Amino acid sequence: MGLLDLFRRETAPRAKRRERALFDDEFQRKLEMLALVSRRVFAGRLRAERRSKKKGSGIEFADHRDYVPGDDFRSVDWNVYQRFGKLLVRLYEEEEDLSIYLIVDCSSSMAFGDKKKFDQARRLCAALAYVGLANLDRVTVVGVNDGVISRMPTTRGKGRIFKVFEFLSQLEPGGATDLGAALKTFVAQHKRRGLAVLFSDLYDPAGFEAGINVLRFNKFEPYVVELVDPAEARPSLKGDVRIYDCETGEERELTITDGMLDKMQRAVGDYRASIERFCAQKQVPYFPADVNTPFDELVLRVFRRGGFLR
Amino acid sequence: MVFAGLPLAQLLMIAGGAASVTVLLYILKLRRRAVPVPFARIWDAVFRDRQATELFSKLRRLLSLLFQLALLTLLILALGDPKPKQSLIEGRHLVVLVDGSASMKAIDVKPSRIEAAKLAVKKLVRGLGSADRALIVQMGALSSPLSTMSSDVTELDPAIDSLRASDTRADLERGLSFALDSLRGLPKAEIVVVSDGVLGDVTEIARHVDLSKTTLEFLPIGKSGTNVAISEFSVRRYPLDKSRSEVMLEVANTNDHPAQIELTLLGDGAVIDVSRFALGPNERLPRYYQDLAGASRTLEAKIRFADGHADDLPADDHAFALMPERHRARVLVISKGNTYLEAALLLDEYLDVTTVPPGKALPSEHFDVAILDGVADALPDNVGAALYLNPPDGGVPLKLGARLTDFGFDTWDKKTPILRFLALGDVQVADGRALTPNAGDRVLGASDQGPILVSGARSGHPFVALGFDPRNSDLVLRVAWPLFVLNAINSFVEEDTSYVSSFRTGEVWRIPAPSSIDSATVIDPHGAQHVVPVKEGRAVYLGEEAGFYKLSAGSGSEATSTEFAANLSDLNESRITPVAELSLGKQKAAPVTIGAPGSKRELWVYLLAVVLGLSVIEWITYHRRITV
Repeated sequence: MGLLDLFRRETAPRAKRRERALFDDEFQRKLEMLALVSRRVFAGRLRAERRSKKKGSGIEFADHRDYVPGDDFRSVDWNVYQRFGKLLVRLYEEEEDLSIYLIVDCSSSMAFGDKKKFDQARRLCAALAYVGLANLDRVTVVGVNDGVISRMPTTRGKGRIFKVFEFLSQLEPGGATDLGAALKTFVAQHKRRGLAVLFSDLYDPAGFEAGINVLRFNKFEPYVVELVDPAEARPSLKGDVRIYDCETGEERELTITDGMLDKMQRAVGDYRASIERFCAQKQVPYFPADVNTPFDELVLRVFRRGGFLR
Repeated sequence: MVFAGLPLAQLLMIAGGAASVTVLLYILKLRRRAVPVPFARIWDAVFRDRQATELFSKLRRLLSLLFQLALLTLLILALGDPKPKQSLIEGRHLVVLVDGSASMKAIDVKPSRIEAAKLAVKKLVRGLGSADRALIVQMGALSSPLSTMSSDVTELDPAIDSLRASDTRADLERGLSFALDSLRGLPKAEIVVVSDGVLGDVTEIARHVDLSKTTLEFLPIGKSGTNVAISEFSVRRYPLDKSRSEVMLEVANTNDHPAQIELTLLGDGAVIDVSRFALGPNERLPRYYQDLAGASRTLEAKIRFADGHADDLPADDHAFALMPERHRARVLVISKGNTYLEAALLLDEYLDVTTVPPGKALPSEHFDVAILDGVADALPDNVGAALYLNPPDGGVPLKLGARLTDFGFDTWDKKTPILRFLALGDVQVADGRALTPNAGDRVLGASDQGPILVSGARSGHPFVALGFDPRNSDLVLRVAWPLFVLNAINSFVEEDTSYVSSFRTGEVWRIPAPSSIDSATVIDPHGAQHVVPVKEGRAVYLGEEAGFYKLSAGSGSEATSTEFAANLSDLNESRITPVAELSLGKQKAAPVTIGAPGSKRELWVYLLAVVLGLSVIEWITYHRRITV
């Protein structure tokens, strides 16, 4: 460990202050404002309560189907029987709470650059959790890296937001990224399908597609929030260096020039374009979140972008 | 181009070795800085271009290597001390004699003549050719070299800065002799005298010093000078009243116009007399202060112009003197009774007299002097010295000779302190005995019939013997009698008779010190300590500063400390009007020609400057990550 690392390393009290500042009063006031805004913008048309596609014992007619032995006689549509002589059963839409899964990438790369990405991810996660809780949705928060490392039990109601804060504060970044493996575990643990918001920089050596596909293939509605630190696209490096991956330790020896840095910037742009392209093709809502943009502004953009609230 | 430092072959060897090491270090793989990145895969696109940039990287590294080799080459060249070929031409050898006498303290040029001399010598040194060499010498009472014979300005400059003017006269003859000795065998020898020309009478120097093979040049310093001086200052106590003293001083006006001056006397630091008087052009005025009271130890005299202005040479406006220490001498008188002797001893209140009849036991305490009147008993060790009056036959310390009648002092030593100022020519003695001195004894007085007053020492105890009973002469009726007795006592207790109230600077001082020691410490007026040798009871020291000095000798219970004063007291140095030309009899010094400054520089300095500049560039390029 170098001398600079000693200075850079956070002391325990400093880390505590930092965590407290993450969800301070100002943050909470902004959350309340976001909740109000979400209600005003989407009132009437897009309520938080969602009608599920499940047919069940609700009061709103949905469809008919053929009677099969064992069906409740009370649900047979006798009018149809009178008209067409066929036994059909009335189906009703069953109302249920929306499940929102907020999945936070806790790999080492999220902590790169003074934990800016990780902090922004946690703020966004907390904001969306609050909006969800305020709209009486079932909110679950999960931390992943190459597996599920932590999980907050499903909760609902605005008053539980402090549980969310506490959970997010306790998350620590570390380990390698393997979203495919981690989300496979996630879907196995959560049978109830719902909206799955993935907060990640998508620096997955196995490919970012794997994780998103796992959600898609398991009937979750994925929503991708990519944490972007512009400083990573053009690091302040010059000369002969040996770079190594902060997660995998892979090494490359390079002599860095300005031209190389330009090329690096383009490579990062290409990578992000490939993510956006993939999400567009798969109809997965994709949202890039710059670490230098205030989180409340980002949340409003999420609302305007749509897909989170319907 | 020639190399004055290491020879070329050696330089090439060093260069070869150092270059090999440098290249080897560059061939070895550089240890790269390890830098973490969040996602190494993204760098793969960049990594593919590495081959394209590798050549450029190598080139830059090669540039860095060449840069290092260039630095190395420059350093090795500097080590060789390269010089242009013309520097091989034989240069001049100069001895620069800088006058460090008291007159160089004059302030007619600001800040002082000595500072002006330093500037002039620095100009002279900077104007030397690349092959010229110079030796800086301070010329005072002694000539002191302050540097080696060198062409290096960095060595000569500190030497010039260390020049200072003392309170002594400059001995030009000694300085020239020293310069000639230093230049012996050297080609193109030159002596440059940097002085105000206040060097006393120098017309005879050319007779004693052979300057025929040497060029003598003179660099005059100073513009004009207005000066009044204390040229003599002396004090002594009255022998019979040691609480009072007598001061003699001489003031001089060295100017061609009259001056009103104010003279202040200070006793023990307090003003005891202020007087104003006029001095005519070039007048020397002796002044005596008799019965001067108010000072017990130190006396100082200061003069200035009556209008309050100081003259151009403050060094001779202040003189110092110390009054002799007053001791109470313990005297043992062994006598049957001698009214004249007792009367004489009563005259000095600083005598503690103990009288013992002959044959009685002597007191055991220490006595400085014993007076044996008509007896010649053996003296115990507790008595320092003895005065024998009319010693009987068979006693000590002398054998008696023939009986004498009707005689007197036909010859006597007028210079001995015992008989100083005494008129003994018409003393009539009825009878007495001639004395037979031993070898080493000294006859102080004699009649035509034989010695009658002898001094000497026995077993380390000095004595004086008078060969007759003074009561059998008219000596006791004369003033000479008590003076003889008191002078004899004073000579034994080493007080006053040889006392010097102040020494003259620039001379070798012989300061009284205990004879049992080999060295003593002189503390000068600035507080600096100098260990000096003690020879035959005298500490030997050449003082160059006026003021009060202290001599410490011995250690522990035997430690002694005496003070003394020193003054410039040199009217020649006080005549500070500078001269424009220096003429040593028939030989006249030529004016100095000063070359253009900067004509001599060492090439290695430039080489090191280039190395420094390149190092700065390297530093900048390194920190801006241009070459790494």
